[in-house]
Amino acid sequence: MKGFGFVLWLALLAGGLGAQPAAAPEPMAADPLKIIGPPLGQPVSPAELDGCTKATAALLRCPVCQGLSVNDSPAPLAVKMRGQVRELRAQGYTEEQVLAYFEKSYGQFVRLQPPFAGINWLVWLAPVLGLALGGWLVLRLLARGASKGATAPATAGAAEDPELRAYLERARALSRQEHNSKENS
Amino acid sequence: MNRRVLLAGLLLVLPLLAVLLANLGRDPHLIDSPLVGKPAPAFRLAKLSGGAPVDLQDFKGKPVVMNFWATWCVPCMQEHPTLAAASQHLRDEVQFLGVVFDDEEQRVGSFVDQNGSPYPALMDPEGKTAVAFGVQGVPETYFIDRQGVIVSKYVGPLDPDSLARELQKAMGGTR
Repeated sequence: MKGFGFVLWLALLAGGLGAQPAAAPEPMAADPLKIIGPPLGQPVSPAELDGCTKATAALLRCPVCQGLSVNDSPAPLAVKMRGQVRELRAQGYTEEQVLAYFEKSYGQFVRLQPPFAGINWLVWLAPVLGLALGGWLVLRLLARGASKGATAPATAGAAEDPELRAYLERARALSRQEHNSKENS
Repeated sequence: MNRRVLLAGLLLVLPLLAVLLANLGRDPHLIDSPLVGKPAPAFRLAKLSGGAPVDLQDFKGKPVVMNFWATWCVPCMQEHPTLAAASQHLRDEVQFLGVVFDDEEQRVGSFVDQNGSPYPALMDPEGKTAVAFGVQGVPETYFIDRQGVIVSKYVGPLDPDSLARELQKAMGGTR
């Protein structure tokens, strides 16, 4: 009888313990399903997971670093983000979905390669346009320098300065005068 | 030629000056976030003190002040008395929550034992809730209105005036 009571007590205890987790909800972090929907790809195999995680994390900016990707940064936040990238890729979320997941909370700033859309075209085109404009300016200056060098007299600067021009004319006249007087004597 | 150089310089400098002037009166602690104006990400986090996990849904109809902090963060220690006093004063009107960012449970426990905390300290061991809120560092505080919408994000230690101003925004929300 004593043994039966002990077994009953154990069963009640086990039942009580078993019922507890169902009554108290488990902790749950932000659910990607609610943020970016269901995975659109296939779960990545464990063999490929490291490579996929690195490739996706390399496209994310570490929010607390200076120009470092989540893949390259040792910052605790980047480590946490890397862990989440790994988890999401393992679940079958595509690279674009993972980037969108972080973009929802950090904004487009978190993408190291902003998409070719809207005003972002400027980011991609500005360096090319700047380079083209700089090249055109350099070529134009070089061409102008070459044409000036070929045609301009040594006193080209004097022609632009009226005072200097007057001085030069006076000096030339004096020089001619002196030359003539020497020849006459 | 000189006039042309002056014009080109002005074209470059004037837009920069305009941007600087437009932002002159702006509070540098109030940082733009894509989540401002949107519903706060859902979460259910374990309390340091144990017991049932805390779910954001539990506080529907009540403004929530969500403070991300850590014991290794000096500005977090500076703002703690401000937050503690406000949470006690507004116990019935506003729910304050402290989410621990990148810290050890034992250290957080010692801090809470020594300094006290009138509001729950929630553990986010994998940092998923922090990432979902777009946390970049600590302290960062999110003000959530009665409808569960984030009304502002404050970066840095809160002083009583800033806390009152942001609280007013969160409490102004209607259900």
